[in-house]
Amino acid sequence: MKTFKQIMRRKVAAVCLVVIFLIFTAAIFAPLLAPYSPNEQFKDGLTLQGAPIAPNSQYLLGTDLLGRDLLSRLIYGARTSLVVGILANGVALLLGTTIGLVAGYLRGRLGSLIMRVTDLMMAFPALLLAITLAAIFSPSLLIVALVIAMVNWVQVARVIYTQTIAISEREFVEASRSIGASNRRILVKHILPHLMPTILVWGTLGIATTVLLEATLSFLGIGVRPPTPSWGNIIFENQTYFITAPWLVFIPGLAIITLALCFNLLGDTLRDELDPTQRGRQ
Amino acid sequence: MLNYVLRRLAQAGLILLGVSFITFALLYVLPADPAVQIAGRSATPETVASIRAQLGLDQPLLAQYWNYLSNLAQGDFGRSYLQKTEVSTLIQSRIGPSLSLMFFAILIELIIGLSAGIYSAMRRGKLSDNVVMVSSFIAISAPQFIISIFVLYIFAVKLGWFPIGGYGRPIHYVLPALTLGILGSGWYSRVMRSSMIDVLRQDYIRTARAKGAPISRIIRVHAFKNAVLPIIAMIGLDIGIFMGGIVVVESVFGWPGIGQLAWQAIQRVDIPIIMAVTLVSAIAIVIGNLIADLIAPFVDPRIRLK
Amino acid sequence: MSNILELSNVRKEFHTSSSKRAIVAVDNISLKLEKGKTLGIVGESGSGKSTLGRLMLRLIEPSAGEIKFDDVNLLNLKNTELRKMRSKMQMIFQDPMSSLNPRMSIRQLISEPLEIHKNLKASEQNFAVEEIITKVGLEVSALDKYPHEFSGGQRQRISIARAVINNPSLVVADEPVSALDVSIQSQILNLLMDLRNDLNLSFVFISHDLSVVRHIADEVAVMYLGNIVEIAPADQLFQNPQHPYTQALISAIPQVEKEKRVSRMILKGDIPNPADAPPGCNFHPRCPIAIDKCSSITPALKITGSDHLTSCHLVNEAVSE
Repeated sequence: MKTFKQIMRRKVAAVCLVVIFLIFTAAIFAPLLAPYSPNEQFKDGLTLQGAPIAPNSQYLLGTDLLGRDLLSRLIYGARTSLVVGILANGVALLLGTTIGLVAGYLRGRLGSLIMRVTDLMMAFPALLLAITLAAIFSPSLLIVALVIAMVNWVQVARVIYTQTIAISEREFVEASRSIGASNRRILVKHILPHLMPTILVWGTLGIATTVLLEATLSFLGIGVRPPTPSWGNIIFENQTYFITAPWLVFIPGLAIITLALCFNLLGDTLRDELDPTQRGRQ
Repeated sequence: MLNYVLRRLAQAGLILLGVSFITFALLYVLPADPAVQIAGRSATPETVASIRAQLGLDQPLLAQYWNYLSNLAQGDFGRSYLQKTEVSTLIQSRIGPSLSLMFFAILIELIIGLSAGIYSAMRRGKLSDNVVMVSSFIAISAPQFIISIFVLYIFAVKLGWFPIGGYGRPIHYVLPALTLGILGSGWYSRVMRSSMIDVLRQDYIRTARAKGAPISRIIRVHAFKNAVLPIIAMIGLDIGIFMGGIVVVESVFGWPGIGQLAWQAIQRVDIPIIMAVTLVSAIAIVIGNLIADLIAPFVDPRIRLK
Repeated sequence: MSNILELSNVRKEFHTSSSKRAIVAVDNISLKLEKGKTLGIVGESGSGKSTLGRLMLRLIEPSAGEIKFDDVNLLNLKNTELRKMRSKMQMIFQDPMSSLNPRMSIRQLISEPLEIHKNLKASEQNFAVEEIITKVGLEVSALDKYPHEFSGGQRQRISIARAVINNPSLVVADEPVSALDVSIQSQILNLLMDLRNDLNLSFVFISHDLSVVRHIADEVAVMYLGNIVEIAPADQLFQNPQHPYTQALISAIPQVEKEKRVSRMILKGDIPNPADAPPGCNFHPRCPIAIDKCSSITPALKITGSDHLTSCHLVNEAVSE
């Protein structure tokens, strides 16, 4: 049974990888794949009463409240969501790893202080903090990504901090010091390689979080602003047609769920493979 | 022991202080000038200046922080720029619905999560175990607001079984509490499962089994109270998770709590309200963690020794 | 003959958050090591010998005292200077598995000291690495493998290679063979002695095993709860141990030949917790010849023979008579 589960997990992870790859490809080749321009409002994209049209042969996924093709907006939306998600996650990883590494290696007063600050930041619910920051600063893709990164680095830092401490106490680190290695050398050549599995896992899991956060912020109207499409803001714009044109909400919603699920599964599998001692499932 | 309690209380106090400072800093670091916002577009510089003075914005930063802090201590969260009412009144009127929703959501999470976890632990390795675990995983990964929208659509709009959001009668609780409850149960079922597996492996369980006790009694009397220990701490953290989703959930279900308040404030960029809700959530999280940390040693004697 | 190492009144305290009293791991130790000689430090676990070893190289900071390496006060050195100094004073650790970075190849591990301290061309570096790996008894093909592919004894050879590649003047070996099988121990000991002679090393050999130290050391110091209780040239110590603790340790060495067997001195009790060190002479609760004085006044290391120092009231009094 255990081997069955292992195989299943691997297969599932493989499927996730494929799905993610497809979404990535769609995002990269958006101009080639999208049947129409995402911002073009078609006269025949709305009914006579001005309501969105259901999926048909011309507009495969229907149109939105302004008569724009949903499929095209969805494909370009993948681009936005992924760009913001990856950028935000990248910054969060960089920031979190650096801070956690330094705090964990130097320890002492500086280390505790840094960790107190992270405790403080964890007292705020991520979404509300992101909302506050997003409301304060003027909107733009970059700002949204940075806001998300500001909220997400904390968890990474804490994990890296604990791990760095554990690794620093291992004898080979002391041995490196005894041969005269500088702190920088120890951090980069000895400790960082041991952190790679964790960084990889969090890199994957983190994208799920950042993509979701971006979708949520956009859904609330303070993330990526229209007309630039993002899966979240498509739902936001078309809320009022929720009952009459549910596909406008469901399809982007499904896309978001799929992406988040895939990254989560992938990250979870990675974690089980790379570090079976951590909070795995068995 | 007393040492531990005092230390945790002091820690919580410090964090609350820090939280208040951060919210204060954000509030006053705004590029938007609150005085201008309140005065309106057509106001003269003198009006703006007098409003400034009224709000105390011309005082040095530390003095402003002190005012802010002392106001907070008295429950004064300032005034909304746009609604011209005290923020604290707004929050007071809306915190009830939020807390009651949180209560029921966590209750359902526990009921579903703990049963699923125990069920799964007992059928470890079998198909039913896998099904439960996969479902838990999906529950954790799925974004709350999208699932809420789906649920609302299917059960309220299409099937018409429930009202489409709103508040007032018990039936209004069902969809939001169930949705949140099922989604949140994923965490609990996973932790309960591994905790239960560990406990069931222990020798004293084997002894009970050897004595011929029926499995249900074993679980009830012996296993459960040991396996449930890590869950207690999680409840405190759960409050934090709940606070995190409160804005979207309440806006989707039309729930008149502080989350919806914040959502409305977001649309109008009414900063003091947003800040107040953030602050209140942070306080709830700190208190939740504190309670979890304080209960833990009583429930698990091993922690006491630390 | 100058001293490669001089410790004066070195003390190391550890503070724990739970107990208010500090744990004195090393209590006021002074000793000298002549160039080219080998000092053995013997004691049970908790005696502070490992701490002393690390203090000698300033791998940990002393709470008090002076440490001089080759007439340079280590405590005055800034970090960069201290690091440079490290190429001349090296440590061999007890557990060869944990002291080697599992993610680095043997080549990387052994080259690291060269990379840090010397600026060699790749070919020169490779030559040095290959030379040293064969010197410690392994094949060149080992260089491209990883630590987990080797046995304990082989890993210790790798550690030794790493320690001596830069031609240090002083090597401190902290229980280098304790983690190894007995059959391997003598091989590694022989390797250490060969290297010592080839490279003219000054050596500090820390161990809990007296029989091991006997063969390799010129001088032996016996430690108990942070103090040196007796120090003497090796053969003197073994033929004429004066401190009761030393006598007990020696009597416990299993001897095959019947004539060499000494009647076992069994000490009462266990080694106490260093946080709760007994007053006066640390050893008095377990000492078979303790008198009243021993529980209140701490004895000092006094000369009790040629180059022989002991810290015991009774021995010191006997000698002065």
